[in-house]
Amino acid sequence: MRTWYFSEMAYHPAWEKGLARGSLRVNYPNENVDPVDAGQLLNRYLDEFALCDEVGLNIMVNEHHSTATCMTVSVPMALAVIARETKKARLLSLGNPIANRPDPVRVAEEMAWLDCLSGGRLEMGLVKGAPYEIHPANSNPGRLMRRYWEAHDLIVKALSTHDGPFSWEGEFFQYRAVNIWPRPIQQPLPPIWMTGMSVDTGIAAAERGHVVGTLLSGGLAKPMFDAYRKRARELGWEAGPDRMAYAAIIGVGHTREEGLRRAHEIADYVRTAPVVSEPFVNPPGYNSVGANVAMMKAGPRAHRLVTDRNGIPIDHRTATVQQFMDTETVFAGTPDDVYEQLTAFNTRMGGVGNLLFFGQGGHLSHQDAKENISLFGKEVAPRLLELAAPEAAIVAA
Amino acid sequence: MRGSVTVRGIGLDIVEKGQGRPVLFLHPGEGLQPDHPWLEHLARRHRVIAPFHPGFGGSSLPDWIGSVDDLAYLYLDLAAQMQLKHAVLVGNSFGGWIAAEMAIRNTQRFAGLFLASPLGIKVGGVLDRDIVDMHATPRAELLRLAWADPAKGDTDYTQMPETELAAIARGREALAVFGWKPYMHNPRLKRWLHRIDIPTVLLRGTQDGIISRSYVEAWASEIDRAEFEQLADAGHYPHLEQPAAFAARVEDFIDKL
Repeated sequence: MRTWYFSEMAYHPAWEKGLARGSLRVNYPNENVDPVDAGQLLNRYLDEFALCDEVGLNIMVNEHHSTATCMTVSVPMALAVIARETKKARLLSLGNPIANRPDPVRVAEEMAWLDCLSGGRLEMGLVKGAPYEIHPANSNPGRLMRRYWEAHDLIVKALSTHDGPFSWEGEFFQYRAVNIWPRPIQQPLPPIWMTGMSVDTGIAAAERGHVVGTLLSGGLAKPMFDAYRKRARELGWEAGPDRMAYAAIIGVGHTREEGLRRAHEIADYVRTAPVVSEPFVNPPGYNSVGANVAMMKAGPRAHRLVTDRNGIPIDHRTATVQQFMDTETVFAGTPDDVYEQLTAFNTRMGGVGNLLFFGQGGHLSHQDAKENISLFGKEVAPRLLELAAPEAAIVAA
Repeated sequence: MRGSVTVRGIGLDIVEKGQGRPVLFLHPGEGLQPDHPWLEHLARRHRVIAPFHPGFGGSSLPDWIGSVDDLAYLYLDLAAQMQLKHAVLVGNSFGGWIAAEMAIRNTQRFAGLFLASPLGIKVGGVLDRDIVDMHATPRAELLRLAWADPAKGDTDYTQMPETELAAIARGREALAVFGWKPYMHNPRLKRWLHRIDIPTVLLRGTQDGIISRSYVEAWASEIDRAEFEQLADAGHYPHLEQPAAFAARVEDFIDKL
C-alpha cells in the first residue's frame, strides 16, 4: 500500500460563521476571507506538503471552488510549487474536474508541463467533481458524464499524439490543431486516476485500466472495488491492489490519545465540508435517475453522507472520532494501532494499494500536522508498502 | 387520451383531449401534469394536444437532441404530421420559450400564440437576472416565488410511485440539458420576435416572482400584434393555479381570432 498525503488547504477561520449561515460553499461571500491570512495559511500548508518528500510520502492535491473548505483553486498551480520543492515524491493530481473545464487541451498541456517539470513524477486524476462544483463552474449537469468522457478521450489523445496536429470535432469540444508542447516524459501517458462512489464508476475505470479512488466510507468503497475487479476479470486481466485507492483521515501520535486528538481535529473537516445550501447538493442530472428516486422517496434531509459497517447512517456533522472509525472515515491511534487498522481494512476491501492520507483539516496546528506526517511517514508508511493483497481476495479471484 | 406519436424517430408521449380548434399546449419545466384540472378546463371547447417534451414523461430524449431549437423544429414537424390548421399555440414558462422559437420560424399552421409567463429572452444587463435561478433557490423559497399560494405547488414525493419519481428525475435533467446555460434563454431570440406575425397574448400571473411584469412587457413590445395581460391570484404557472380563469382567457382569445 502506497501512501499519498493530501490537504485541502482549508480556510478554517471562516467556518464558524459559515456553519451558522448553513453554507460554506458557493453562496458564502468572500468578504469572510482575509487574504493576508489566506496567504500565510497557503504557505504553511505548502510547507506541510514539502515535508512529505523528506519522510518518504507521495503527495496528492485536489481543488474546489467558492468555498471556505478548500483554498486550492487549481491543482496545476499547487503542484507546480510542490514539484519544485520535492525530489522523490510522486505527485497526484486528483484531480482536474474535466467535465467543468471549458478547455481540455489546456488540461493536457498543464499535465504534460508538470510531468516535465517534476521529472516524470506526475499521476493524473481526471475527475467528475463534486455536485457543488457545478454552480461555480456553471457547468451543465445535464449529460455531464458524456462531456466528461469526451474531455477524457481528448486529453488522452492530446498527451499521447506525437505526430500532430490533429483536429477534434466532437459534441462538446472542437479544435483545429491540437499539438501540445512540451509532451509528457512518461510514455505513453502518466498514470490516470478516476474517482467515484458507485459500481458504475468501478466498471468504467476497469474498462480503461485506470486507478479508481473513493473516500470516507468503506461501505461504499467495497462494492466499487469489487465491481472493478469483476469487470477486469471479464476483460481478461487481474486488477491488483494498485488499481484501488481510498481516502481517509489519519491521526497518529506517540500515544493513542495523541493520535485520536489529531484525528478529531482533522475530522472537523468532514463535519464541515458537506455543509452547503440545499439547491447545490444535487443539481439536476448530476446523480443517476435511480439515485434521485431514492432521494425523493427518502424525503428532505433524510440522506447522510456515510454509513457504518452495518449500514447505519451517521450524521457527519456531529460524529465522534469513534463513529468515524466505525465508518472507516478515520484511522487513528499509535503507529501500531493505525497499521493494524489499515491491515484489517485492506483485508476487508480485498486489497487497496493506495492510501490517500488526509492529514490536515484546517484546525490541526502546524506543529501537529508536521508530527502527524513525520510519524506516519517513518513508522507506518514503510510497513504499508509491504502490505499485499489479502489472501482471501486472491483465493476469491 | 394518452398515446404516443413518433416524429423524426422520436417517440413522444402525448395527451389529447376534447373537440374543436386544435390547441398545441407546451408545458413548463414543472412538467405536463395531465391529471390536473387545467386540461379538463382547456379541453371543454377545444382539442388540446399536449406532448411531454423529450426527456419528460414517457418521451424519449435521443442524444442528438439538446437545444430549444431542436424542440422548435420537432414540434413544427409534429404540427405538420398532425396536419394542424388554424391551431393555437399555447406555452407556459419553458414551454413558452419553445412556442416563441417555433413562431419566429413558421406560423403557417397557427392562428394565434398564447404565451403565459414565457422564459427565453434576455432583457436586462449582464448583472441583471431576468429569471430567478430556479436551480439555485431552496425549494421553500422557490414555491413562495412561483405560486400565489405556495401550498398549491407543494408536492410530497415520498408518497409517489417510483415510476413517476423516475420521470420527474429525467425531466429535471432534460430541463438542465435545454436551459442550463445560457440560463433559460436564447441571447438572440429577442431580436427575432418581430417575425411573429399572428395575434399574440402575453399573460402573466400577478404574483409571479420568477419573472417581473417588465420582463413580460418587454416581450409584448417586440411583437407587433401582442397584448399584455395579467391574471389575478396566479403565480408563474397560471394554468395550474387558476385553471378555470386561464382556460376562459384562452377561450376569449380564440373566439376573437
